[in-house]
Order: sequence, then C-alpha cells, then structure tokens
Amino acid sequence: MHVFLQTLLDGLMLGGLYALAASGFSLIFGVMGILNLAHGAFLVLGAYVGLQISQSLSIEPILTLPAVVVVLFAAGALFQRYLVQLTVDRGGLVASLLVTFGVSLIIHDLLAHFYGPGSRTIVSSYAYSRIEFGGLVIGLSRLVPLVVSIVLILALHFMLARSRLGREMRAASQQIVAARLCGINVRRVFALTFGIASAYAGVAGVLVGTVLPFSPNSETYWTISAFVVVVLGGAKSPAGTLLGGLLLGILNTMTAQFISPLFTSTVMFLVLVLMLLVRPQGILGHAAGATR
Amino acid sequence: MTGLDRLDLRSKITGNIGAWIAVGVIALVVMAAAPAILTPFQMRVGMSIFFSAGLAVAWGLLGGYAGYYSFGHTAFLGIGAFTGALLSNYLHAVSPLVVFGLSILAAVAVCGVLAALIAYPVLRLRHSYFAIVMLGIAYVAAEVINNFDWFQGSIGIVVPQVVPRGMRPEMFFYYALLAAAAICVVVTALLVSGRVGYALMTIREDEDTAKMLGIATERYKILAFVVSAMLTSLVGVVYAFSIGFITTGAVFRTDFSLNMIVCSLIGGIGTIVGPVFGAIILTVLTQVVLADALSFRLATTGALIVIIVLLAPSGVLGLVRGAAARIRQ
Repeated sequence: MHVFLQTLLDGLMLGGLYALAASGFSLIFGVMGILNLAHGAFLVLGAYVGLQISQSLSIEPILTLPAVVVVLFAAGALFQRYLVQLTVDRGGLVASLLVTFGVSLIIHDLLAHFYGPGSRTIVSSYAYSRIEFGGLVIGLSRLVPLVVSIVLILALHFMLARSRLGREMRAASQQIVAARLCGINVRRVFALTFGIASAYAGVAGVLVGTVLPFSPNSETYWTISAFVVVVLGGAKSPAGTLLGGLLLGILNTMTAQFISPLFTSTVMFLVLVLMLLVRPQGILGHAAGATR
Repeated sequence: MTGLDRLDLRSKITGNIGAWIAVGVIALVVMAAAPAILTPFQMRVGMSIFFSAGLAVAWGLLGGYAGYYSFGHTAFLGIGAFTGALLSNYLHAVSPLVVFGLSILAAVAVCGVLAALIAYPVLRLRHSYFAIVMLGIAYVAAEVINNFDWFQGSIGIVVPQVVPRGMRPEMFFYYALLAAAAICVVVTALLVSGRVGYALMTIREDEDTAKMLGIATERYKILAFVVSAMLTSLVGVVYAFSIGFITTGAVFRTDFSLNMIVCSLIGGIGTIVGPVFGAIILTVLTQVVLADALSFRLATTGALIVIIVLLAPSGVLGLVRGAAARIRQ
C-alpha cells in the first residue's frame, strides 16, 4: 500500500510536468487546429536556453524563466507569422504537419551541433532537498515543477476564459471569418497564440531539465507525450490538459513500478491507440474530427 | 490546384500506359547494365536510390494515392528485417538463395498479416491522428523488439551471408534492391492504374463523398495499407541481408519513415514516377553533394520539406508539368 501511494504521488508530480509540457501544444491545437510537431523541439530549446543562462550567469535555474519566456515567445510568434501561416494558407493543415516536423529536425540538428548530442541536466540548489510526510517522500525538485505547472495552467485557463485576448482566441478558433468581421485581428491572435504556447513549452523545458536528463533527441518524446496528453484529456481546455498530464504521469510511474521501466513508452502508446479508438474526443473534451 | 484538376492529370498519365511501360523497361535495362561501368561508390549510391525509391513508392500507395500519411512506416521495414533475420538463422542447412527467398516470403507474409490485423482500427482515424498513431506503432514495435531478448533487438542479430559463390556482394545486393524497387513500382502501378487507383484517389479527395458514391472505402483503404506494408517489408528484408547485421536502432529509424515522405513530396505526391525522382534527388543531394555535412543531414531534409511544401507543393513533377503546360501555350 505504501509503495502504491508513493508511486501515485510520484506520478502526480511527474504528471504536472507532462501537463505543462502539453499545455502549449493543446492551446495551438485548440485555437488553430494545428498539430505543432515542433513543440517538443521548442521545449528542448527552452531547456538549453535555461541551461545556458543559468550556467553563464551562475544563477538559480528557476530565475532564468523570464528570459526563457521572452526568447521562446519571440521564436514561437515569428515561427507562426513567417512560416506556419504561409504553410496553412498554401497547403492546409497536413502541410503544416510536415513543415513543423521539418522545423523540429532543423532545431534538433542545430542543438546537437552547438551543444553536442549527449544528455544534459540543469542542477538546481534544491535538487536534493526533500520533504517527508507520513512515510512518503516528496523531492523538492519534483514538487516545484508541479506547483509551477498548476499555477501556469490556471493562469492559462483564466486568460482563455476571462481576458480579452482569450475571448479573441476562442472566437478565432470557432470561425475565422466571423471573428474578422467582429474586428478581431486574427493574424495577430494566431501569432500571440503560438508565442504564448512556445513560451509555455520553454518554461516546461527548464523545469523538465531540473528533473530529467534531456538531449536534442528528447524532442520527439516530448512532442508525442504532448499528443498523448491532449488525446487523454481532450483538446481545447487547460483543465483537460491538466487531467491528461496527471493521468499520463501516474500511468508512467505505475508502469515503471509494477510492470517494468522498459515499457513506459509502450504502455503510453497502447493507451493512446486505445483512447483514439474508443473515445477520440478525450475524457473531457469534444470530438475534434478524429474519426467519422 | 483543385482536386478535380489533379484527378484529371492523373488520368492523362494512366491513359498513356504503353509509353510508361516502355520508359520503365528502358530504365530497368539501363539500371541492370549500369554496374558494368559504375565505380563501387556509385554502386552504393545506386543501392541507396533503389532502397529509397522502393520505400517511397510503397509509402505512396497509401500516402500519395489514398491520402493517409503514415509517419511510422519504418515499423514494417523493421518487422520485415527482423522476421527475415530471425528465420534465416534457423535455416542453415539449405542453400543460401533458398534461405534468402524463404526469408523474403516469410517477412512479407508476417507484415501482411500484422498490417491486416491493425488496419481496421488505425484506418478509422483520419489525417493527423492516423499519422501520429502510425508514429506510435513504429515506436512500440521498436521497443518490443528491443526489450524482449528473444528478438535480439538490442544486442543485434547477424544475418547469414546469402550471396552465391563467385559473385561480389555489392553486385548481388545491387540487383536484389533493384528487383525489390522494381516490384514495388510494378505492383503499385498495377494496383493504381485500374479501379483501385480511382477508388483510392476518390477517398483522398473526399472520403465521405466517396462512401456516399458507393465506394467500399474501408476495403480499399485496408487493401492499400496491407499492400503498402508488404512492399515496405520486402525492401526492409533485402536491406537487412545487404547490411548483414541489424539492431533495433539500425532498422527502426525515424529518418527512414521521414525519407519515404520526403521523396514523395520532392518528386510529386500521388504519382509513381514522382517518388522515384524524389529518391534520386534526395539521395544524390545527401550522399554526394552534401556528403561532408553529415551532422546536418536531418536539418537538410527538414529544410527541403519546408521549401518544397511552400514553393512546390506538387513536387518536381508538378514543376515540370507546369513548365510544359506553359511552353505549349
């Protein structure tokens, strides 16, 4: 029982990371219908930016977040404005799948060229601190990401639900033409959506870096896990992303604990395939045209 | 270009079937005679081209004609390679060529059965969902083969030598890969030049309408999926024999899946000659022109995708056709 509870707790904390890593992916998919296959590459890029800044200024990794947000926001917004938009205009959504995949490869090779293909980690000052609670152990390096994730996902939720930009995003996701007629600058909204989503990916990258090793090759893993989270929780709502992320985290630690650490990805994909076949709209969300 | 225009272009090609058979036969004869004058390096490039072309044509049957972009076709390549490698290790008593033939048959059969088993569920998914689920299937297949000791995926498995006595290995595999690629082209051409081709193209342009028109969409999609998987595994098993030692990492490679798509895109998606041209262009570009920039191989491919999608969405073939049309006017 104790092992089970500890595994559950570890899963929840890992799940916070999955949720944050997927929230930007889910936002782009929800607002623009684009599956951004470069999302994982942006996440890993964020991790490297955070690593670079915290090493060269020798400051606490978590203090690099504002800078990472700025860099990734700019990268994401420019990427959307000058590449993704063009692609969607010319070739539709499948073309955007290919172009974002191509960009992820470019980012991968550039990172591997400048930082080498090996695994890196970001070491925080609290990496080895832990809280013990009724026999359960909570590592601070895992608790901090969970808390940051929940705060940021709530912020995203309120932004979408309450703010003017959020309303504009929801309007643009429903009907681009109608949104334009209401005086919404849809191009600007889309660029901002990509910027915010990439900034979230960057923050997730830094937090991932403090918990797990990362390398240029990790980008595929994070793109796919974001997709799994979106499928589990359903697109279009930060609450769904949070739920999907936490479920994926629990699934992963449970598999590692009770089946074998070798099969976490396999189980993740089996669940993905099953979910797509049985309930493609996710546990919470609406059908997104996945099947007939 | 609208869907109808593209259908029209396609029917112009298939209408001229005699000319294409002639071109194909001439090309085959030239390729078969070429080793007489090629240097070993050029023969390696040739083998790479056949490998990529066979895979791209096999992928195109499903991706180009039916519009179902699989991002994980390397699953079938890998499963085929491992089936062949494992089986050939159990058959040492018989003559090498028989081992080669039986391994190919077994690999193609195993992939056909596996593809048929997963076809119905995965083909219910559309577009991006199908693409990513195939990526997932390739990932799972690789992990299963890597983690169960029986498959020897992580430590690797030696594939027996099947080259007949007195023949140079690269010569043998040059012809083997050429034959595999030719089979991919011929089978695909036979399938798409008739009723099946029109059914698949109709599915690509509008699946719901296709269904409404009375096309058994499910059956045609499954047919394309299974045949595409079998052709992919055919190329995969020949490749396994040609490299002689395989690990999971050597055959389940995302860049193989990617190259199939990129070759089709570069040449012209939804055609047969397109992927072949694409394979020639991509192989020459990455192995001859950019041979020194190895660490940027993926980035080059990525940049090519971006450029093609933005500037020439119907590929080199589309550019050629456009130019031809302009000259005629």
